[in-house]
Amino acid sequence: MKFLRERLDNGLEVIAEITDGALSTSIGFFVKAGARDETDSLWGASHFLEHMVFKGTADISADEINRRFDWMGASANAFTSEEDTVYHAAVLPEQQLEATALLARMMRPALRESDFATEKLVILEEIRMYDDQPPFGADDRCRASFFGRHPLARSVLGTVESIEALTADAMRDYHRQRYAPGNIVLAATGAVDFAALVDSARTWCGAWEPQATQPRQTMPVAWAPRADSTLEHITRASATLEYAVRMTAGPAGHDEDRFAAKLLAAVLGDDSGSRLYWALVDSGEAEQASCHHHDYLDAGMFATQLSCDAGDVVELLERIEEVYRQATAEGISPAELEQARNKLAGRVVLVGERPRHRLFSVGLEWARAGTYRSVAEDLQIVENLGMDDVRRVLDCWPLHGSGSTVLAGPYPAEASPESLDESQ
Amino acid sequence: MGQSIQRRQPVKQTIFSTTLNNGIVLLGEELPGLESVAIAFHTPAGAVHDGPGRCGLATLSGEMMLRGAGDRSSRQIVDSLEGAGVQWAQSVSMSHASFAGAMVARQLPIALPIYADILRRPLLPDDQWEPARQMVLQNLAGTEDDPAHRAMSALRQLHYPSPWGMPSEGITAEVEGIGLEDVRAFVSANVRPRGTIIAIAGRIHWDAFVQSMEHLFGDWNAGATQPVVTGQRGPHVRHVQHDSQQTHIALAWPAPPYRSDESYEATAALAVLGGGSSSRLFSEVRERRGLCYSVSAGYHTLRDCAAAVCYSGTSAARAQETLDVMLTEIRRLPGTLEQAELDRVKARAKSALVMQQESSAARAGGIARQWYHLGKVRSLAEELARYDRLSVASIEAWLANHPPQELSVVSLGREPLEVPHEISA
Repeated sequence: MKFLRERLDNGLEVIAEITDGALSTSIGFFVKAGARDETDSLWGASHFLEHMVFKGTADISADEINRRFDWMGASANAFTSEEDTVYHAAVLPEQQLEATALLARMMRPALRESDFATEKLVILEEIRMYDDQPPFGADDRCRASFFGRHPLARSVLGTVESIEALTADAMRDYHRQRYAPGNIVLAATGAVDFAALVDSARTWCGAWEPQATQPRQTMPVAWAPRADSTLEHITRASATLEYAVRMTAGPAGHDEDRFAAKLLAAVLGDDSGSRLYWALVDSGEAEQASCHHHDYLDAGMFATQLSCDAGDVVELLERIEEVYRQATAEGISPAELEQARNKLAGRVVLVGERPRHRLFSVGLEWARAGTYRSVAEDLQIVENLGMDDVRRVLDCWPLHGSGSTVLAGPYPAEASPESLDESQ
Repeated sequence: MGQSIQRRQPVKQTIFSTTLNNGIVLLGEELPGLESVAIAFHTPAGAVHDGPGRCGLATLSGEMMLRGAGDRSSRQIVDSLEGAGVQWAQSVSMSHASFAGAMVARQLPIALPIYADILRRPLLPDDQWEPARQMVLQNLAGTEDDPAHRAMSALRQLHYPSPWGMPSEGITAEVEGIGLEDVRAFVSANVRPRGTIIAIAGRIHWDAFVQSMEHLFGDWNAGATQPVVTGQRGPHVRHVQHDSQQTHIALAWPAPPYRSDESYEATAALAVLGGGSSSRLFSEVRERRGLCYSVSAGYHTLRDCAAAVCYSGTSAARAQETLDVMLTEIRRLPGTLEQAELDRVKARAKSALVMQQESSAARAGGIARQWYHLGKVRSLAEELARYDRLSVASIEAWLANHPPQELSVVSLGREPLEVPHEISA
């Protein structure tokens, strides 16, 4: 495995992790644009723009883009998160040039009014689709409550109202700002011809005007993780189960303790074999009870998710709280540490074998921090995690106590679960 | 550009197979360059054997098999697998109960005896029965909140003859009537060597693997093959009332099963219809009209019958138009295929086949599936050659003989849709 990098004069960065013997090539444009970069009037613009990028450039139609990707045999798609918009294609190595060229040209979309109007309908359908699905908006509402005035409070999709109000002109401005070459990383993994990759970047991206990139909206001075607890409820009378999302503060993306936080989350709330699994899922009391750590540029959090019968939700949330309280009080056992380390190491190896998965680890890490870690280095980090690291995370970032909780489902709103509602 | 990147050598493939005296089929594929190994145990205890009024019995049985086996408790099984970094999964399909794991290759000797205990020595203990039952019921409650899943599940019940279209995850009212004694009888009758397929892929040592399988499974002799009585299929059109903003539309019509050579023509025709982002459904329904976020067509196969399947979810007010456009595109398919469409379908299929070689779990699943359907594993070269033989003429010939008809139609949402009588007749 070999890592190479190059920076074009206009600021665009090109990186590649090359694996001998890989059968495929994965290519991605990682744009530093996400929900956290939006304002009220641009809410949902990053994700809407991601859709518009597939609607064509001045000289390539949307149909032509779709046809070209299929003709290459590409598995191509895109996603938008709070901090990144990523366009990616997995192809056989002989298609590297074609795939890179097409993705590169797409980064300068036409943003036509007529396409904008049609695609707006698709975005509204996507919002409705998620609104009909568990956790029925509890995740977005919880994010808003937990992050408060922090830019990370914004949901990626936006709302029906914000999407309806968005104009093509506003999107064009947003694109000019955020899709400047200095804000974009072109990454490739697998069987990569790096010289050809850099050539492609020069050919298709070299003429992009460099711009002074806007600094990202960061944590306002006044923002701090919630010291209180909040509880909200979204009524979904027709839902069969009750869904709960709870967010508490955790290490941020720049904090070395983020790795230990992920290990702790695996011990406490992995989808199987964790403390929450044995306490609530194995017994058939909850459909799901899990905890995962998420990190961003300047903040981090533990997100707990629970789904169960509405009548049990208060009791089960209290039991989760007790699992967390006990973890802080007593720590985890050496056996749990060992099991979680092996689990995480297994995942690193399996993800590392597929260029199309590895692309995201490599590209996102470079876009966020400008750093690269090989699979071996990732494994070393997992291997080095010890009891003291976990202890430090438990002390600094206890999962019990303050935080935001949102329920969605048939649970009667008037029967406010007071035991959880410490702030009111 | 004037540049070109050299096409690589064909992928080298090494596939092994052997059958133990008791009928267990062992399959293996060596994937050079990988550190991992993936293994899948498929035993013929699928939901097709649930029996009338007991839909969910196979799923309950699969769950109970994990809850204690050999000298390990339920907890010890999971701790041992996860302690070795095994990503494990258990699932029940119509045909099989499956137990799978992917891991760093050196951990395989720890995992194999655990899986052998699960298959051969499940304890099915009294104290795990109620938790297992509750877990299955919780999962069923969860699927009630997943409208797309419900629509597709209802579609399979309409399209396939009983019991092949029943939901493998169970039906709540029927699960509630099943007892632990039913599970014990089911496991004893259906979890058996004949019909079991064990597939391994990745960094493997075939001879050593066969030896350890002989050691772990060679003296397993149990049970006779269980027959399945295939009954009637249901009505063609159904509306499922559901309080949601979107209406979900699911359509199916008959297609040849995977073991039929014509399945390639059918799969290609369906890919043209709704397989990629340049497919007709995606272009007409989403790109041109903005009617929905998701729309697709695909192929679903059981051993003896198969289905062409289309799906879309869209807001209630635009659902009728969505259905109408989908039906127009389906009817338009025969006689209109273009070479460029076929070229794209071939390129996507070939590329997907090659990329599968990078995943030990995908290959372990793939070779087992082929053995179940075909009684052999097709090499990558054979598959690629078969795609090369696809032509506009061969697909049009198949479409002419098998035009989309006798459609099953499911709508799930607030209002039923109008379904033209002639398409479902």
